[in-house]
Amino acid sequence: MGDKRLEQLLLTVQKPGRYSGGEINSVIKDKSAVDVRFAFCFPDTYEVGMSHLGMKILYSLFNEREDIWCERVFAPWIDFEKVMRENNIPLFALESRDSIKDFDFIGFTLQYELSYTNVINMLDLAKLPLKASERHSISPIVVAGGPCTCNAEPLADFVDIFFLGEGEQSDLEVIDLYKKFKANGGTKEQFLYEASKIEGVYVPSLYDISYNIDGTVKSITAKGDAPKTIRKRIETDLDNTYYPDKFVVPYIEIVHDRAVQEIFRGCIRGCRFCQAGYIYRPVREKSADTVNRQAKAICESTGYDEISLSSLSTSDYTEIEPMLEEMLSWTEKQGVSLSLPSLRIDNFSPELLQKINHVKKSGLTFAPEAGTQRLRDVINKNITEEEILNTCKTAFEGGYTAVKLYFMMGLPTETDEDIKGIADLAQKIVDTYYALPSKPKGKAVNVSISVSNFVPKPFTPFQFHPQITREEIIRKQQYLKECIKSRKITFNYHENKTSFLEGVFARGDRKLGEVLVSAFKKGCRFDGWDECFDLEKWLCAFSECGINPEFYANRERSYEEILPWEHLDYGVTKKFLICQNELAKKGETTPNCRQKCASCGANIFGKGVCFEKR
Amino acid sequence: MKFVSHLDMNRFMIRTVRKAKLPIWYTEGFNPHPYITFALPLSLGFQSSYEIMDIRLTDDNYDINGICEKLNAVCPEYIEFFDACEPILKTRAVAFAHYNITFDDNKKILSLFLEFLNKESITVSKKTKKGDIKQFDILPKIKDLDIKEKNGNTHLSLTLPAGSTDNVNPELLITAFYEQTNTDYYCYSVERDLILDENLKPFR
Repeated sequence: MGDKRLEQLLLTVQKPGRYSGGEINSVIKDKSAVDVRFAFCFPDTYEVGMSHLGMKILYSLFNEREDIWCERVFAPWIDFEKVMRENNIPLFALESRDSIKDFDFIGFTLQYELSYTNVINMLDLAKLPLKASERHSISPIVVAGGPCTCNAEPLADFVDIFFLGEGEQSDLEVIDLYKKFKANGGTKEQFLYEASKIEGVYVPSLYDISYNIDGTVKSITAKGDAPKTIRKRIETDLDNTYYPDKFVVPYIEIVHDRAVQEIFRGCIRGCRFCQAGYIYRPVREKSADTVNRQAKAICESTGYDEISLSSLSTSDYTEIEPMLEEMLSWTEKQGVSLSLPSLRIDNFSPELLQKINHVKKSGLTFAPEAGTQRLRDVINKNITEEEILNTCKTAFEGGYTAVKLYFMMGLPTETDEDIKGIADLAQKIVDTYYALPSKPKGKAVNVSISVSNFVPKPFTPFQFHPQITREEIIRKQQYLKECIKSRKITFNYHENKTSFLEGVFARGDRKLGEVLVSAFKKGCRFDGWDECFDLEKWLCAFSECGINPEFYANRERSYEEILPWEHLDYGVTKKFLICQNELAKKGETTPNCRQKCASCGANIFGKGVCFEKR
Repeated sequence: MKFVSHLDMNRFMIRTVRKAKLPIWYTEGFNPHPYITFALPLSLGFQSSYEIMDIRLTDDNYDINGICEKLNAVCPEYIEFFDACEPILKTRAVAFAHYNITFDDNKKILSLFLEFLNKESITVSKKTKKGDIKQFDILPKIKDLDIKEKNGNTHLSLTLPAGSTDNVNPELLITAFYEQTNTDYYCYSVERDLILDENLKPFR
């Protein structure tokens, strides 16, 4: 396919800029001068993938090396996939427009379960056999990283190597090993076997899974002397961890079209529903100096006029106020606005609010997650109603008139009382506004509540719980709707069908691989997109494969059951998760990591918050 | 750059001017943004070798001669600034634009196109802003038409009305040609190489 023909075809699809490449700071190398070509694939649209920080970090890290050329690949949208298939265009990388089939590595980042069919589709568009066992040659090696690899068993048949935890080091070690094999000759099996000895590397084909009659896992057996458990890899010193000073700056508008500065990894909080809060432990911070230096460099090389601080809970950064002070000293001069997502209610001080006020004013968003104190204690979201109302009061006094609140429904032990609590809390916030003598004249308040459906995830204390059924979700949504009396409250809720599928795959096992292929063949793609998602096709695929999806989503697991991810070690122990689940049942909270160590097991990595002076 | 829409181009230029550290003037509205405007938006899919962009600086005594160099230093090689000056004409003075169209056809459509252009009239369909379809004869609108063989391919160049009062996109002619002559499809590229005022003098 000539470039000109491709370009003409691109003009027939939506947003051709998704596929054309050539953006500022994208990396072009001489392919004859590199040893390893890496196709970094994000299994969603360009606009979503280009907003992802992990991809930016690894793209630049790989390309810093002269012997590696890392290029970007995104899932083609439905319209372009059709054009590709009709014109026999194989999946290509944006930089070189070469087919990725001939690359050394094809790497996927797995950010959410509903992107799995896109992974399958992209392998198919690349014209590769889907199954790892049918790809015999040493290249391409299909690898995957990202949070979902803590249980990517449904993809185990398709992927050669999973990277557990943070990839900065293990990725390069695997690439170096590959280079050795490529130079000296060696089979794919030998390579994978050697790779499995690298910490953080999980080679699924080296593990045999057997099942009980009831469908649960009976045993997970390592082949040969492959490690019995595979421990995730982390960066222990973030001040000396690679961070790019350039981002590829897209021409077309993407979801997060701004500079991003990471400030720490992990979270001290331990909210019991939150997978990120457990799998990224322990908390490791960057120093304020590092944050400022890196942020400045990014703003200069990209020309962005907005920078967002990235972490799981920005206001938990130990030196948040001095750090912001330093940042504002240059951002204001340069007309860069600062945005701080992920603020917690309880440590949101008026001073902090004042500081954010210096720059662009956006809406306020809080996440109480549950409507009653009882349930907030169950999920270990250690904030009180008083704190929520006080923060809203401060915000209203500061001139805000819109507040957005995030909740979940379907949490363990939840009753209708807790659902009603969501409406009551929103009402109290509305009342707080109207009770304020200093409220802005003639302006109405808007409290928007977004309610998502709780999906139990691996490596959380709630991994044992059943997800509530779709019927129950619908009933609860209806009930909440009836509880809301005020027109100042806007209620948004999440589609129950996608949550159900997410629930199935989050705690799925290898038997689901067959379902993925079947759903893909029926045309399932972009399952996270409402306009593409089709539950009927999925239910059909499950029944064809003789698999009951409710077994995965809606079943309670006993503590003794061998979970499909039992051979993976994220530091946090199963014993700790069980203990947390028991506390949850009693409605008892656990202090955060800085208040008191809860002995989760993450101190095994030898660094981070576990070793801070208290 | 042909896949960069006009709005994307605007955002790109804002970032470029910021990177070049020019003292750009920000609008004073609720949401301040740098003031940048193009004399004539370029259609998605077209390339261009002559674009006019207005920016406003806060410093009236800023050295205008250094601007291009500063901008070029932060731009990829496929975007080049070649001159900066005080504004001469208002953007509404744009009246015409000149285009070069190259068909990758081994001159197979050269004679067909000539024949097509020899017709009494060529009716083309244009979608108006309201969404209606308007039909008109494109032939009287065309100026400076030239069609010839170049490097073995068919090369068409022409001037068409452009700007806010009357704007005729050369795609209309190409679409009409393919639709009305049943010719095999060949890839083509469109380049705009001049923006002109009502006297057909380069706009600046």
